[in-house]
Amino acid sequence: MSTPPVAPSPGTAVTVPARPAPSRGRQDDVFRRQFARLGWGLSAPALILIAAVTIFPIGYAIAMSVTNVSATGSGFSLSGFTGHNYSVMFGAAQWRYALFFTVLYTVITVAVEVALGTLIALVLERLTAGRGWMMALLLIPWSMITVINAQLWGYIYNPTYGILDTIFSHIGLGTPVILGTRVPAIAALMVADIWKTTPFVAIIVLAGLVMLPQDLYDAAEVDGANGWTTFWRITFPQLRPTIALAVLFRVLQAFGLFDLPFVLTTGGPGYSTQPLAMLAYNTMFRDLDFGPGAAVATSTAALVVIGCLAFLRVFRAQVGDEA
Amino acid sequence: MHIVPSGRRGRPKLALFTTLGVASVLTLAACSSSGSGSPSSSSSSSSGGSAKASGSATSGNITWWASPITTTSPDPRTVLIKAFEKAYPKIHVSLQSAPTDTDTNRASLITTISGGAKTPDVYMGDVIWPAQFGKAGLAVPLSKYLPKSYWNTFASGLVSGATYNGQVYGAPFYEDQGFLYYRKDLLAKEHLAVPKTWEQLKSEAAELKNKGLVKYGYVWQGASYEGLTCNFMEYLGSAGGTALNSGNTKATLDSAAGNQAATFMRSLITSGASPSAVTTFQEAQAMSAFATGQAAFLRNWDYGWSYAQTASSPSSVVGKVGVSPLPSFSGQPSPGTSNIGGWNLYINPHSKNVAADLTFIKWMTGTAAQTTLATQFSEIPTVQSVRTSPSVVSKNPVLATVPKTRLIPRPAGTPQYAKVSQAIYTNINSMLSGSSSPSSALKTAASQINSSVSSNGL
Amino acid sequence: MRHRSRQGWRRVVNGVNIAALLVFLFIILPLYWMIASAFKTPTHVGSSPPQLFPHPLSVQNFNVAFSQNTFGRYIVNSIIVAVVATALVLILGTLAGYAMGRLPMRGKFSVLTILLMISVFPEIAVVVPLYALLRDIGWLNSYQALIIPYTAFFLPFAIWILRNYFLGIPHEMEESARIDGAGALRTIWTIILPQAWPGVFTAGIFTFTACWTEFLMALSFNVSNGYRTIPVGVALFGSQFTVPYGTIFAASVVAVVPIGILVFIFRRSVVSGLTAGAVKG
Repeated sequence: MSTPPVAPSPGTAVTVPARPAPSRGRQDDVFRRQFARLGWGLSAPALILIAAVTIFPIGYAIAMSVTNVSATGSGFSLSGFTGHNYSVMFGAAQWRYALFFTVLYTVITVAVEVALGTLIALVLERLTAGRGWMMALLLIPWSMITVINAQLWGYIYNPTYGILDTIFSHIGLGTPVILGTRVPAIAALMVADIWKTTPFVAIIVLAGLVMLPQDLYDAAEVDGANGWTTFWRITFPQLRPTIALAVLFRVLQAFGLFDLPFVLTTGGPGYSTQPLAMLAYNTMFRDLDFGPGAAVATSTAALVVIGCLAFLRVFRAQVGDEA
Repeated sequence: MHIVPSGRRGRPKLALFTTLGVASVLTLAACSSSGSGSPSSSSSSSSGGSAKASGSATSGNITWWASPITTTSPDPRTVLIKAFEKAYPKIHVSLQSAPTDTDTNRASLITTISGGAKTPDVYMGDVIWPAQFGKAGLAVPLSKYLPKSYWNTFASGLVSGATYNGQVYGAPFYEDQGFLYYRKDLLAKEHLAVPKTWEQLKSEAAELKNKGLVKYGYVWQGASYEGLTCNFMEYLGSAGGTALNSGNTKATLDSAAGNQAATFMRSLITSGASPSAVTTFQEAQAMSAFATGQAAFLRNWDYGWSYAQTASSPSSVVGKVGVSPLPSFSGQPSPGTSNIGGWNLYINPHSKNVAADLTFIKWMTGTAAQTTLATQFSEIPTVQSVRTSPSVVSKNPVLATVPKTRLIPRPAGTPQYAKVSQAIYTNINSMLSGSSSPSSALKTAASQINSSVSSNGL
Repeated sequence: MRHRSRQGWRRVVNGVNIAALLVFLFIILPLYWMIASAFKTPTHVGSSPPQLFPHPLSVQNFNVAFSQNTFGRYIVNSIIVAVVATALVLILGTLAGYAMGRLPMRGKFSVLTILLMISVFPEIAVVVPLYALLRDIGWLNSYQALIIPYTAFFLPFAIWILRNYFLGIPHEMEESARIDGAGALRTIWTIILPQAWPGVFTAGIFTFTACWTEFLMALSFNVSNGYRTIPVGVALFGSQFTVPYGTIFAASVVAVVPIGILVFIFRRSVVSGLTAGAVKG
């Protein structure tokens, strides 16, 4: 696979600073086509594998969401196209609450995690000695199995022998029932999530920071900009694609929130900490209502994708403004 | 708005929508062709064997799926398997350990069986599953193979709990039920009697707590999960109420008895007899509060006895614990009702060795295995003759208390039980934490139950 | 390398550092609590008020995890599955990420959108049909039963990560390599990757931990004890009514060791990214 001697323009890769293409016109089109072919060739192994494994199950789940599904000993029987599953879902107060809760949870945790993660990354980037150690340490919470993370926080919040309970009563705050009332339970869940995920956001941002070109800083130095200005005027705009990635990544994960409340609060009190994924799980595997469960799952995926695309669009447009 | 710094604006967008559209059409087409029936096209017939398979097979390999029964060493599961293989040397049983969380266990089984797997052949499942699993075809109706004389060996109520639509789906393996555990040293010190009524329990618990003898008076399971349904059913049963009508078509818990039960549960917290943290307690938290000496009374299953009496559990109340049937409301028959929990043995409809499976199940529910379970591992046997045999009754006070208790099942006769239970525990839990009144919690629960049993809600 | 000598800058740095220190403490304290509890005796794990330092130090929790439960086997399985899947994801993801990030392909945004959709689709909904698929091809209870689905489901996001980092690399060196007649693979290997190590590292860590912690598929596809992974193993601890915190924490302490080693080995990736930047600048 040989490549033509002239590089193509970056096409729709909007985050790359625009740069004049070396040549224009017919010849450019030829190279473009050759590069496109090369691109598809390089992507093919990944795309084929992904398609082979994921299309059938995802398609099947989508199909379940729009048909009458009955579980039988020998698998599922899907019959007839129906909107019933979605109408059951839309009509359920539980689903509406789960949607509200998931969105609230996502917005708050993602905002906090990205802010804290960027903070850590800025400090880590300046750390010349011991960065490897720090990173290894930071990644421990992230690499912890979520169920264990939930158990750990359950142990910390434990109302009879939890450390938090002891601390609270020592500083005279009494013994609040952390997981038994709605707002504290939601906050407790968020803390556990922020604890686990902030370090990984820091790693994503750090990788972006490290890869930033040096020249702009030198220019800022010459201009006499102070640290705060440098961050907002130079670092942050350059870092925006990376932060966008971190946000995207966190939104995807936060919307899939499941193991943490499943173990830590079992969705309670009432169902006030039951997110969409847990609702889907309970509907499918506890109630054996596969149709509505698939509807919850499918609509969740659709919502997240729409949200992410809108987010990327806004974010990209801003980047474009400055380019 | 539409600032895209490349010259090719517009086109990618168009391409996006066409590709997405095509992809989704293709996806749907792909699954409507392959998915119209079931994902498991090559699965075996649901009977899994001939009707003459009545447990006479003496050879074959079977896989048994069971979650850990106790944390003791040796493992009861392997002890039983060894004994079985000794009795039937040509049947080999391999154990697949299942997750300890019952819901995770069920999810895994549903995936496996509805995915058409031939193993596990036999699985240990919760007593509340028969209707749901029977309706979904996830279990073999055992009564097709096993005679009435076999089912008559079990203690009363257990077989009916495993029956759905006239067929028995699970063979009762071991039973659980609620007991009242109390600190006999504290009661003696304050000259208090073992409570016979809930009201008495409440006042004694509050008294012991107010005197500073314990941090908490009475602990039980009030978290938003299945265990709260069990607890609620006990108060409800003691008050003379039911949760569902006999046809499982309508909620009956929004009644005078239901209100008495719910109001009392809330008053346990408001009176200080139970901590408000009880709304986050599952068995483990309640047990540890009691075992570390922080609570005077505990509602728990039968394992509570051996846990509290074993120093390494860890327990600091060894030798100070008493057990009795649960109290009742004053003016109601005594003792109060104990909820039935426990585990049945089921057969996977795809099993290739139904005859050997039946041999295994019959042996596991036979005298030898049941006696081992009771005497070595303190589980409540399901077989009536073992339950009342002197060697078992003399083993520990819990087993001696069993015959004196009054049992109440959960309303698990409907395949929609999971939703019924959820309606109960989420609403009762909110009520316990004070965010709704007993009567409104019951009303909401009743309406949710009514829409679930008619299959109209999520 | 970077000159930050200004007074104002230094003041901000201090504020940032103090905030970071607080965040750091917030991260480290629960971790300490887990490790300390893992070394407590079972009695002290549940004692009230809790012990701040484990005394006496006990390895009983570790014994239970490894002797009563075949935890060693689960660790080996997890390592095999996670390492192979991560390697596959990085190889395939680098090629695809390079194409998506740096080559003009019409329709790549549609592809990227579909990839996004795949990576957000709740796992819960795909487990059952995927199970049937794996059963039909006879892969249940094997390493590939996890490796292939993990690769497929974690690749989309890895492609997104890699593409994002590849986008930021300036074009000059790539062009000169092309002019020298280097093929695409060589360009990726000699020009792109050395500058994008931090991104590759991020994608690798993301994939590895995703495989390492995945529960639902591992639970459903491999029920034979010989192929179970750590998260499933932990779910088998204890019994129905007990939460064996000590054993769980002991297992968790052991389970983070491979991740720690991995990060430590590859920490240079991030540093070398920095050097590459310096060379270029």
